[in-house]
Amino acid sequence: MDAGVIDIPTWRLALALVFSLVAGGCSIALKLGLGRDILIGTVRTFVQLFLMGWVLGIVFAIDSPWLVLPVFLLMAAAAAQTARARVKESAVAFAWPMYLGMTAVYLLVTTTVTGAIVHAQPWWKPQYFLPIGGMILGNSMNSVAVALDRLFSDMRARAAAVEMKLCLGADPAEASADIVRDAVRAGMIPSINSMMAVGLVSLPGMMTGQILGGSDPTQAIRYQIVVMLMIVGATALGSTLLTLIIRRRCFGPGDRPLLR
Amino acid sequence: MPRTDTPGISAHLALAGVRFAYRRAGQPPHVVLDGADMTVPRGAFALLTGPSGAGKSTLLRLFCRLEEPDEGRVTLAGRSVDELPPALLRRRVCYLQQTPTVVPGSVRENLLLPFTFKSAAGQPPPDNAELARRLDQLAAGDIPLDQEAATLSVGQRQRLCLARALLTRPEVLLLDEPVSALDADSARAVMDAAESFCLDDGGTVLLVSHAEFRPARVAPLPFHLSQGILAWTPAS
Repeated sequence: MDAGVIDIPTWRLALALVFSLVAGGCSIALKLGLGRDILIGTVRTFVQLFLMGWVLGIVFAIDSPWLVLPVFLLMAAAAAQTARARVKESAVAFAWPMYLGMTAVYLLVTTTVTGAIVHAQPWWKPQYFLPIGGMILGNSMNSVAVALDRLFSDMRARAAAVEMKLCLGADPAEASADIVRDAVRAGMIPSINSMMAVGLVSLPGMMTGQILGGSDPTQAIRYQIVVMLMIVGATALGSTLLTLIIRRRCFGPGDRPLLR
Repeated sequence: MPRTDTPGISAHLALAGVRFAYRRAGQPPHVVLDGADMTVPRGAFALLTGPSGAGKSTLLRLFCRLEEPDEGRVTLAGRSVDELPPALLRRRVCYLQQTPTVVPGSVRENLLLPFTFKSAAGQPPPDNAELARRLDQLAAGDIPLDQEAATLSVGQRQRLCLARALLTRPEVLLLDEPVSALDADSARAVMDAAESFCLDDGGTVLLVSHAEFRPARVAPLPFHLSQGILAWTPAS
């Protein structure tokens, strides 16, 4: 399988740092103030990926669902925390629903893909379950963050219209239906757009990895199609479910809007 | 100490010992109602005056649960407002915002908006003739039903919003400075409609006014709110 893979020795891996130096040079030349972020980002890339490689090596070797699921839950927690940090709203408590909702949706989608489409044996086979779950989490956490950010900002910006509808007898769902629609749409659009460009503009990561690993490109594209579709599905489910759950938390006792 | 309720009459709207304060992190509570009592009988036209920032709008918003009191009881026809489902409470007690708010779409779509909500189940939407009659009552009969609501002037929007509220046939109208941004003609039309709601339909009106203002055809029940104290001021 990996007969076609060319090893990257440590010194040539270090050579890739030249790209970080280029980015740092741009920051210095244009006074962008990004030097520190580029440095931290580079260090984190090395540390996090080496750590993940080490963890995956252990998980693959032990090959037990009791290890695969906790690793997946940790990845989901990290994704939820990342998405949570991107949403700047303190008046509504949404961390727990966000974590539980994201975990449930992405567990469902990942299990469907590995069990029903890829037919991994068993369905939790770590070589399939964790990379596929990781791709779903990585792509969908952005969509959830975009959707929730839009939900909260629109609830504030359009507070007068929400209140007006409540005053005319609307319930919270009716008063915020257009806001929810716009938020879910904003969350879904990037993954739909990426379907438009895939294969024309970009060769996505999983396909590239399989081709570099020596797989037949016609087999690699099948995996990539599954990945693209599962990301769109996970994005739609995640954005919709979380927006609907967290929308309810934007209203207090007596259906009173909390964001104004 | 002036009286804070109207004695010897059964209340349609009432406050009993209501305290309300705004809270912001790191700041002491800003008390706008400190043990407020108020009684407004059915069919009355109550006029609430007071300086800017006194909490007049907050008082109105308590009756439709857009605000919750820290202490005390807010009632509609003897029942605490928090015993009623919020959507049904707001069909009975309609609060008209100070700044008229319309949704994207035509004047007709805006007027029919309340009839798209579940709380209007069983209430047939008014036909075009009824819509036109309501607009005409507010001296807005010249506004075509198909016109985009966003293109209306502030005065026209305020009349549209009042017409929309009246079409839902509420028991109580809470009017928050409804004429403060209007020209004289629009203001007169809005006030005429509010007075007709009271006189002809038997509805109860609670109107907040920043400026000195007197209705033309009804004797208002006057209240004054200042520095947290709500007072009934029949002599003024």
